[in-house]
Amino acid sequence: MSNIFDMERTMPSLTFQEKSLYGSLAAELIVYVPYFVYVPRHHATLGGIIATIVAITVVQIVVQSTIAIFSRNRLTDERDRLIAFRGYRAGYFALVTGILSALTLLWAHAVAGLINPNHAAIHFINVLFAVLVLAELVKTITQLVSYRMDA
Amino acid sequence: MTTGISNTIRELRAERAMTQQDLADLIGVTRQTVIAIELDKYSPSLETAFRIAHVFRVPLDQVFRYTPPTTRRR
Repeated sequence: MSNIFDMERTMPSLTFQEKSLYGSLAAELIVYVPYFVYVPRHHATLGGIIATIVAITVVQIVVQSTIAIFSRNRLTDERDRLIAFRGYRAGYFALVTGILSALTLLWAHAVAGLINPNHAAIHFINVLFAVLVLAELVKTITQLVSYRMDA
Repeated sequence: MTTGISNTIRELRAERAMTQQDLADLIGVTRQTVIAIELDKYSPSLETAFRIAHVFRVPLDQVFRYTPPTTRRR
């Protein structure tokens, strides 16, 4: 009997929420890393950003549907909601900090004449897109760390 | 990080040969949440705490104990 209880205690398998978060992180890395590796070497385009948003949407639908199909217990409880709240809070701070930093850097670059006026708008959109992606990654990683530290 | 709240859930389960999944199903949380509560890493809501006590048919203070942090005096 005690062996069963010891095994239970030391083997916390992943909840549906955790699996979903690992899926989200994988999808985000698969889509965003190639994009942000490609962009510094070429000019960012609005089409590139839209294609990336479409790609992340499709990949997330496929990944999350697959996880849902293979998960028997999709229960969300109070601890999941608390961890989700922590993730959104961390993501919000990352978003605000990122936007303020990005605006400051863009202003400094514009003043220094480092931004090509012909590409200023798309450059601005691309930087804000990067900040959004970063905030999303912070949210996901904070939630995953919370799950591992709390259980 | 521990919370200052300790509990006897593991012992109460053992007395009743109840698994973590059994308890989780009865109180409407995941098994991982039961594990976190047992290890004093997560303090459940008051409602969940009462549900746990109700499942074991014991008073709440027989399941949970609070140890206040020691205060330093000059």
